[in-house]
Amino acid sequence: MATIPPTQAPGTAEYAGDEIGALVLDPGSHSTRAGFAGEDTPKSVVPTHYGVLPTGERLFGDNAIHLPKADLEIKNPYNSDGIVEDWETAAKLWEYTITSRLTGARQTPPSKNGLNDAKDENGDTNMDEGMEQLEEQEKPLQEFPLLMSEPAWNPAKERQKTIEIAMEEWGVPAFFLAKNGQLAAYSQSKATALVVDIGALNTSVTALWDGMVLQKSLQHTPLAGNWLNDQIRIMFANNQPPVPLVPHYMVKSKTPVDANAPSSATYVHFDKPPTDSFRKLEEERVLTSFKESVVQVWQGPGRLDSPASQGGVTNGDYVKSMPPKPFEMPDGWNTVFGLERFKVAEGLFDHNAAYTDDKTKKPSGEQTIISVVNKALQAVDVDARPVLLNNIILTGAGSLIDKLPERLQADIQAMYPNPRVRVLANSNSVERKYGAFVGGSVLASLGSFHQMWVSKEEYAEHGAQIVDKRCK
Amino acid sequence: MPPFRDDQILIIAPGSQTTLAQLGLPESYTPARSRLRSRMFPAEKEGEFEPVKIRRREDNAPAHNGDGHEGATNGENDENDGWEEDHISEEGAVWPMKKGKIVDWPAFYALMTHVYNTVNPPFHTPVLLISEPVWTPKDLEKVTQFFFEKFKVPAFAVMDAAMAATYAYGVPTATVVDVGMEKADITCVSDHVLHHIGRSLAVPDCGGESLTDRLVEVMKGRKGFGREVCDQLKRSGICEVLPSDAEILKNDAAVEDDPANPAAAASTGIDGEGQQRSNSSGAVGDVPRGPGPGTEVGEEKLEDEEGVLDIASIVTGGNMSEYLAQKEREKAERAAAKGKKGSDSQPATAAKPVRLPNSKRLRNSFMYEDFNLHNAMKKAGMSGENMAEMHSALDEGPNKRQKTPEPTSAVSENAADGALETTQETSSGSIFRREIEVGPERFQAASGGILDRLADAVYRTVQSCNDINRRSDLWDNMIILGNGSRVRGFKDALLARLSEKYIISPSSATIFTSELPSNLSTPIATGANTPMPQMPGQPHPSSGVNPLLVAATTAQNPHFNPAQSTFGHQSSHSHSGHGQTPTSIKLVKFPEYFPEWKDVGYDEAAFLGAQVAAKVLYVNDSTGSGYMNRTTYNDQGPTAIHEVAM
Repeated sequence: MATIPPTQAPGTAEYAGDEIGALVLDPGSHSTRAGFAGEDTPKSVVPTHYGVLPTGERLFGDNAIHLPKADLEIKNPYNSDGIVEDWETAAKLWEYTITSRLTGARQTPPSKNGLNDAKDENGDTNMDEGMEQLEEQEKPLQEFPLLMSEPAWNPAKERQKTIEIAMEEWGVPAFFLAKNGQLAAYSQSKATALVVDIGALNTSVTALWDGMVLQKSLQHTPLAGNWLNDQIRIMFANNQPPVPLVPHYMVKSKTPVDANAPSSATYVHFDKPPTDSFRKLEEERVLTSFKESVVQVWQGPGRLDSPASQGGVTNGDYVKSMPPKPFEMPDGWNTVFGLERFKVAEGLFDHNAAYTDDKTKKPSGEQTIISVVNKALQAVDVDARPVLLNNIILTGAGSLIDKLPERLQADIQAMYPNPRVRVLANSNSVERKYGAFVGGSVLASLGSFHQMWVSKEEYAEHGAQIVDKRCK
Repeated sequence: MPPFRDDQILIIAPGSQTTLAQLGLPESYTPARSRLRSRMFPAEKEGEFEPVKIRRREDNAPAHNGDGHEGATNGENDENDGWEEDHISEEGAVWPMKKGKIVDWPAFYALMTHVYNTVNPPFHTPVLLISEPVWTPKDLEKVTQFFFEKFKVPAFAVMDAAMAATYAYGVPTATVVDVGMEKADITCVSDHVLHHIGRSLAVPDCGGESLTDRLVEVMKGRKGFGREVCDQLKRSGICEVLPSDAEILKNDAAVEDDPANPAAAASTGIDGEGQQRSNSSGAVGDVPRGPGPGTEVGEEKLEDEEGVLDIASIVTGGNMSEYLAQKEREKAERAAAKGKKGSDSQPATAAKPVRLPNSKRLRNSFMYEDFNLHNAMKKAGMSGENMAEMHSALDEGPNKRQKTPEPTSAVSENAADGALETTQETSSGSIFRREIEVGPERFQAASGGILDRLADAVYRTVQSCNDINRRSDLWDNMIILGNGSRVRGFKDALLARLSEKYIISPSSATIFTSELPSNLSTPIATGANTPMPQMPGQPHPSSGVNPLLVAATTAQNPHFNPAQSTFGHQSSHSHSGHGQTPTSIKLVKFPEYFPEWKDVGYDEAAFLGAQVAAKVLYVNDSTGSGYMNRTTYNDQGPTAIHEVAM
């Protein structure tokens, strides 16, 4: 067989021109996004939840974690604050995200992949060239500069851990760590903006001035996607009649039933039912579908319970007159939601409206999205506020709840009546969902970003602390 | 002037099991002309590969340079220097792709070379490669590089298999469910844009192999039903997936009405079965006792028990002649039995004027082609004569072909699944066919949860399509293809499973049902009957229903009841009502203007799509922006493929 000449890999000096060279990794507590710089969507989106078998084996990816298996525990490497807790798993998961769909597992450089080696296709001849070289060869991302995102409140220790993994485990030639708020702003080509990022675990607010993050402004609150799920659960439980939350995997087939009538479905029989954590994960899928198709934010002005223009009638009364939306559970049980579909999301803006139960306490008034936006604005220079108010960028999958941008705009405008408030929410749901990735993709493919990378040599010279100096 | 000519375009579709290729676009697009098994055999020299198995005939044979065999076409049996080619055996083969993924690059390159040489295109031939969805961008680059460097192609393009399927069906938006050998890929394409996010790639245990696995499991109790037999059973026309498990149960129940379970009934010849058959056919009620079809079955089964491995061991053990004699005897006996059967008990089944469809029959039989035996004989150094003798003794093929129930399915089977094998067979003429009868187990190929797994993956994929508004279109445009879905009834069963599990029925709360009309007149006066679009600009009650009335009514009915629904529900006719999907699930109809595809089935429609695309890319589109040419490759290297990859 004829041999192929070595790949003309882009020289290491030209990291990420327009070439697909650099990788962008945007890890989150709900999903982990990765792709090549210059692409407009992440090619690889992997759930951050992973499965653990009793043997200790970890399963990653949608194909593996949604199959009902006895003893499959679903876990998440993040803590409740949105910071990585289980580093070992996180590193594996991130690597899986990149290698499974982008680079392929275990790249071998062309000189060693056997193609140019007439003698031996398996690279066996290289084996005796020393273990060191072999180790080099096994690092999965040797050819790819990597840009990663992080939450703005990521502690220094975690940041150093991140660069360590990238440099030492993956062998990346260059690395950069950027705050996801910053990246989301870049995705909208703004260098000065107030970024409101509604994620799964946290809603964060980042003020950006000429590309620099204003450290004082950083705020985050747990009122985000997962909290909303909990609200829906409580609403379901308190509904009359209670809404049964049966995930899809338990249902074999369903037949149509009347609204509020008991379901008539055949259920799957399990010798040993899957674990609670698995059930929770699958329930969340139903809740996601509920959020997509039913939940809506009262668009403002005013709160849901504040009086409308005519006396004695509240906005809530008004929405009752709007057509309620039906929702069908996986087992066929169905009903319509009128006011409830607004009320579950109202807590994001009005802490008094939040549903509570034994486990879920009412959030404090300081935790609402409006409060954290306000706090962030209060922390920045007074002259900067009008500009920021005019450039509020809303991003994150949690912001996709219907009418949420309108409400945010109305509430902020009510708080700051004077300057014009403008909430920029990308109408393309993909771009809004993956704002940080898109920004990272733009940034990493900029020629002028070239000098920002932390190179392997610099890392070797300065150690992990360099990330604090370079990536601000 | 188009840059390339119709007849000079090479399309290659590599698969884990079969690689399709074709040179040139015919007037009417046809199924792929070349079908090659996606496997190579390690050559004498390590790291090199041969397209056919070469085995050593004598131990002292001199080392033979494998290159001499390169390009040897199938069917010709050149023997030299103590080496011979074996075109049937696949022992020791290297399969370069597993679950769509390229696992052995040198072997994959060798396979591509073999395909290229087999098709043997003229020098100036552009290539369109159908890529497996699971290939990573890096893989694409490697493949691109290989084609440019090795074959010096003037132009190259890759197209995703799912994308190609939508081209074949001529729809811009579709959910493509591609059921392969060991995996299935599920892809959403909306408006010609492929959604990478949420795409289910290489879902494990969802391919044809798991159907076989399940059959093996179901057949466990019965001797002689090894993997090979089950695999061929799956491919035969009698293996069928019934729309729901319930029907299999019904079938089982019918069996249990018999005095004994089917196996017992079969082997003991209890007449219950005869009755069962006659009942279901509504024909003669009374079946004479004696050696009825049940007994016949028993005999068959005994033979099965001696089946695959035993024959092989007899052959290798050297007891051939005895065995052959025994075989002859049995044959004669059976012929006698058959005559008898024909005279008395047969009317209930074979003599029926109208054949029952397979799904209604309790048992049915198929032809098993024994490759293992062939291997065993070759190994034992059997001479050609012996094999021919053996063949005539054992082969029950030709005279029983007509027994295969639905001739159409048999045809389609051969036409596609075994096209290559058939040619080999006829040339070598040494395949041993036996007839094997199977009970209702043959309906259980998909009972191992494969449908549930697939359905879940399909649902997950569509639900994670970010374009929420397109989801219902995606559900209404399902394409199920791939040779794994070829088993009869599989597609319908999958569709049925999806429907019964996921379809959102119209909510009785939003549709006016008979209980409501009396209320209808009341709210008209308030103007609530007018559909009320949600206007963001004027969201306040003044624009709609009298708020006081709303407040008053809802205060009385704090929870939902039908009366309350009268306030808002009129407008549910004008808005979509359900935000949830799917409200309906439909398959895309295959376009009728490709007659050649009708006979073989549309499971490889991706190849048709590739022909359509090749025409557009290489002939119709003179801008040349859809493919990568040599200049681009020289300038930008393999990464430029991402600009044109579809």
